[in-house]
Amino acid sequence: MIEKFESILGEEELNSIYNIAEKLKGISVLHINSTPAGGGVAEILSKLVPLMRELGIHTDWKVIRGDVEFFKVTKSFHNALQNGIGNLPQEAFKIYDKWQEINGNEIDLDYDVIFIHDPQPAGLIRFRKKGSWIWRCHIDISNPYEPVWNFLKRYVDNYDSIIISSPVFGRNDLNKPQYIVPPSIDPFSLKNRDIPQITVERILYKYDIDPNRPIITQVSRFDRAKDPLGVIRTYKLVKRHVDAQLVYVGSPAHDDPEGEEVYKETTEAAGNDKDIKLLMLPPNSDLEINAFQRGSTVVLQKSIKEGFGLTVSEALWKMRPVIGGNTGGIPLQIIHKVTGFLVNTPEEAAHYTLYLLRNKEERERLGRNGREHVRRNFLITRELRDYLMVALLSMNSAAAGT
Amino acid sequence: MKELLDKQAKTQFEFYAAYYPPIYAKYKAYTLNELIDGIRKVDGLSIFYHVFHPLFSSHVVPEDMHNDFATWIRDELGDSLLAQTVSDIEGKEPKTVEDVRNELINILSEAKIERRANKPFYFITCKPVIYKTGKVAKTLGEFIDIIASISVRSIAYHFVFKRVMGYEVKNDFSKWLEENYGLTNVSSKLSSIDPQTHTDEEKLREDLLKIFEEEVVRK
Repeated sequence: MIEKFESILGEEELNSIYNIAEKLKGISVLHINSTPAGGGVAEILSKLVPLMRELGIHTDWKVIRGDVEFFKVTKSFHNALQNGIGNLPQEAFKIYDKWQEINGNEIDLDYDVIFIHDPQPAGLIRFRKKGSWIWRCHIDISNPYEPVWNFLKRYVDNYDSIIISSPVFGRNDLNKPQYIVPPSIDPFSLKNRDIPQITVERILYKYDIDPNRPIITQVSRFDRAKDPLGVIRTYKLVKRHVDAQLVYVGSPAHDDPEGEEVYKETTEAAGNDKDIKLLMLPPNSDLEINAFQRGSTVVLQKSIKEGFGLTVSEALWKMRPVIGGNTGGIPLQIIHKVTGFLVNTPEEAAHYTLYLLRNKEERERLGRNGREHVRRNFLITRELRDYLMVALLSMNSAAAGT
Repeated sequence: MKELLDKQAKTQFEFYAAYYPPIYAKYKAYTLNELIDGIRKVDGLSIFYHVFHPLFSSHVVPEDMHNDFATWIRDELGDSLLAQTVSDIEGKEPKTVEDVRNELINILSEAKIERRANKPFYFITCKPVIYKTGKVAKTLGEFIDIIASISVRSIAYHFVFKRVMGYEVKNDFSKWLEENYGLTNVSSKLSSIDPQTHTDEEKLREDLLKIFEEEVVRK
């Protein structure tokens, strides 16, 4: 499986992964997260774990268990850490600790390197037997609701290393190295691999989208952080000049009352414009997302707050020009005027959308640059290599007692 | 020169390479004074990361800026002239990261900018992960062939990293050429290349190969 990346990376780049992995031969690695499927973490682990095994590293992936109450608590932790919202269920800390103890007693933690993904299983460090422990934080912890951060920090302080996705998420109150490892995409996955033009068109027609007119697309949840109302405004400003269509691709959020509210607001803002398609696709609609991105003239990710915003890399990989909000991990992916445009307002987004709709050569230039930028920085092989290096450095510093 | 190209070296050259996983350095700057303060306090690997690591195309800087400090000064503090001076700071032999640090502090201390950036400068440091490439040169010819084809990660490690970090006084390539073949002229021409002003690793390789072509292969 890993050999097929040679056609994208080149022999030397792939060899570097083999050479670094060689240093880890014979060790055991365990990844722990909170869900076996659904969401970015499970998606990345489903690719990374087989790749690590293929490199000769004994790698396992285990998922913690918990009841509804526990996952309500961890969801509130997520909101507290990423959005600074301090709305916790009663006895949240006690419930969290109870499930850490249950999982800590059930899961075999006898490994040389243990990657704990996100806050849900972070408390397992209490049950450390041996090895080097690394907390991989996929979310923005730079401006958290302090009581939750202070609670978790007691655990995080006991890890050997921490991994964050961007320096913007770094914290000054941690005394362990905070490695910067951005997330990545798999170029061979159904969501990202090349698909025939006929498939793209079939899917566009299926959703009543005209492939012969300009298409502006945003793929993201109906969440205020993604600024769906700003996207509608951007489209309406553009529509005054160009007969464009807008496709906003989200997925239903039955467990998120705010999501339904935002969807309602967005449909109201869209009015009865038949060229606005607000789509709710089921999870795992990877082929459809691939087709919408490839069929787009311009892709938007007009977030006003963002974790990393990997949909940007997905679109760049498909050589689409992307206009993104100047927030979170988006500026790492969009280099202003090189791989796309960074904006702060719907008016700016509309300005650059119009510019791109009028200028095919510029779209193609940004598209080429974007794909190359993703090839160098945001493919899964880069993340794989980073994990290997962090494991190696953490083991070395643990051995050196630093 | 043909004979020299095939002549066995006294000591073979073993090519290593390195990646430099970035680590948040726990300093950020919104103002020029905070930037100076950060430059004073961070470790040498952080100076390496911001000034020399942009050699790799994966480390993005604008085409007309050679390092992270210059880019931030231009984009966030709005001083293009100062940015250009910082961009063109000298990093060739025998300058180390400590020389660069001192020069940066001197240049920046003379500037007067009151502006506060919208986006801070995040100081990043790194820890090198060094690995064997498996490539070994036993002759000068093999040495040049390997440099022409090996990962630029290896060239950067031997030609830039060890020397600018002060682990070696001279870059590994020049040292090997002098010690094994007495090629002091080639050695000093290589030493005169300033990696700080390179932001495309393949251009650095080209510049090295051009010297070998002119001074060794064609002679």
